[in-house]
Amino acid sequence: MTLELNQLSDQVQALSATAAERLASLERQRPAAEARLRAIGLADDELQGKVRAALRYRWAGAIPAAEPVDAAFPCPPHPARANVLAADGSQVYPDRHGVALYYLINVGSIAFRHGSGEAPRVASRPAVFYEDADLYEEEGRQKPVEKIDAERDRRELGELARLAAANADAPAVALLDNGLLLYFSLQAQDRAEIKRELAPYLAHLSALRDSGAAVAGIVDRPRAAGVARLLHLHTLPMEALKDHADLFQQDADFRHLTDGALFADRLQPGERSALFENGSPANLDHFQPAGHSVFFFYLNPGPAGRHALLRVEVPEWVAHDPARLDLVHAALVEQCRATGGFPYVLMRAHELAVVTVAERRELEQMVVAALVRRGLSLSVSHKAQGKAWTGAGRRRYP
Amino acid sequence: MLNEHIGRLLRSATTGFVFGCQVPEPDVPRFGDFVRAPVQRGRGDVLGLVYDLVVQDDAFVRPLVAAPDLTDEYVLDQRLNRQVPIEVSVLAVGYRAEAGFVQGLPPQPPLTLDVIHLCAPEEVRAFTERLDFLRLIVDSAEAPADELLAVALSRAAEAWPAAEREAFRRRAGRELARLLPRDLPRLERLLRRLRP
Repeated sequence: MTLELNQLSDQVQALSATAAERLASLERQRPAAEARLRAIGLADDELQGKVRAALRYRWAGAIPAAEPVDAAFPCPPHPARANVLAADGSQVYPDRHGVALYYLINVGSIAFRHGSGEAPRVASRPAVFYEDADLYEEEGRQKPVEKIDAERDRRELGELARLAAANADAPAVALLDNGLLLYFSLQAQDRAEIKRELAPYLAHLSALRDSGAAVAGIVDRPRAAGVARLLHLHTLPMEALKDHADLFQQDADFRHLTDGALFADRLQPGERSALFENGSPANLDHFQPAGHSVFFFYLNPGPAGRHALLRVEVPEWVAHDPARLDLVHAALVEQCRATGGFPYVLMRAHELAVVTVAERRELEQMVVAALVRRGLSLSVSHKAQGKAWTGAGRRRYP
Repeated sequence: MLNEHIGRLLRSATTGFVFGCQVPEPDVPRFGDFVRAPVQRGRGDVLGLVYDLVVQDDAFVRPLVAAPDLTDEYVLDQRLNRQVPIEVSVLAVGYRAEAGFVQGLPPQPPLTLDVIHLCAPEEVRAFTERLDFLRLIVDSAEAPADELLAVALSRAAEAWPAAEREAFRRRAGRELARLLPRDLPRLERLLRRLRP
């Protein structure tokens, strides 16, 4: 073992003390935050005006929708028949120290036909990317991993669109194990590039909408603080927004407060919070103009006695359609009933997508064998070989 | 079912092997069944008796056990789609060589992923022309010997024509008496189980 754990003992003790203090601090903040949420209730014209003003400064808070922000909605009844679809992806990034340059994306999916009495239909769709166009940017540098992640995310959503078309015989809800905003659109700076990467993703969203399905992105243990930012905005006088620096200062009363901490104890098992629209620039710049503005709510998926909270992101055409919204709500609670806090279908989609270390090694062997058959004699880099030798663990003599 | 394989080999030794299968059919495989697996690259078959079926679990299944009112879709997904095999343990009791059946341990064990078949009645009948293999069951450290003897002999008797079953049972009883001359209570229990 290389890691000298005994040297970390004091630091680990300090870490646990800090974590405990942070938790205690959140507990102290929560009553005041909840009181402020109740005070807002149904957002009035003044708060809506502040939100509009703040958005001009690219404020990434939660925009109140038509429901009182402190509302909680019980779980609607689950339909006797519904198709719950899920997809998840995993990837093997290019390894420039490996025998050949390529990357792999594997998308696992499941169509759970609730009420049919049938075994769910599962699939695992791997693809290897090795052409120059797959691996390199136009200017010649290797494709960044963020673009590989974007490709994986697009394939996940594409798989959901395919499943929705094939499972239209009952109300359908399609689930992603992630937020709906393509992560690349949150990270990249170049608007034209974002648009290019996003176009197929938005096309899949349109296909899902047209199929009649609902779609939702699920985030477990959410760290977002959009609603906490709204609470801060509520306290600022309109005049203060002219000096927009105030907007982005942390509210001293609610330091490190997340939406998850705010809603964790407010919602009873099965209840969802009010809907909010995501005010992030990525949503307003790219998703909203395409008719797919992202809304979200928080959900206590139950069952009773389990502390679980999910952030559920839905496009505007689900948020504004009570039937589709209720289906998302009911299906998530039903799916979490079996597992105790996270949708069963997303667990299965992950299981079908994940590429294990052993499978990755077997893929490497397949590549080596194919190269050898073509008369190519290739090897890993000296650095990779060294890692293989030293990574297996050090032998220690007394 | 006889022509279809019932599982694939997971691990093996000269004395027996373990194969994996998905959801078992109601009748296959069962405790005490005669099964066969290829050895020596198909030159022969090892014959064995099923003596244990183990349903594996994993971390994903455990919380589902406690879930109330689990619908059929969850159960079927776990049983049919997930690759958690049922492990079936087999005691080797003989093999088929070019000259015919041999009652004893095979020269080599079967190999990983070899297909396992249920023995046809005529194979069971031919193999149980002799009953020297009963000693391997009596001496087995892993298998529940008495239970396996009783069930396997009943299965073997079913493979014989109705008119010859009684003769087979008498022959089996005599062989057991030869194997267990100093353990009369055990012998008596086994002979009682042999009765139709």
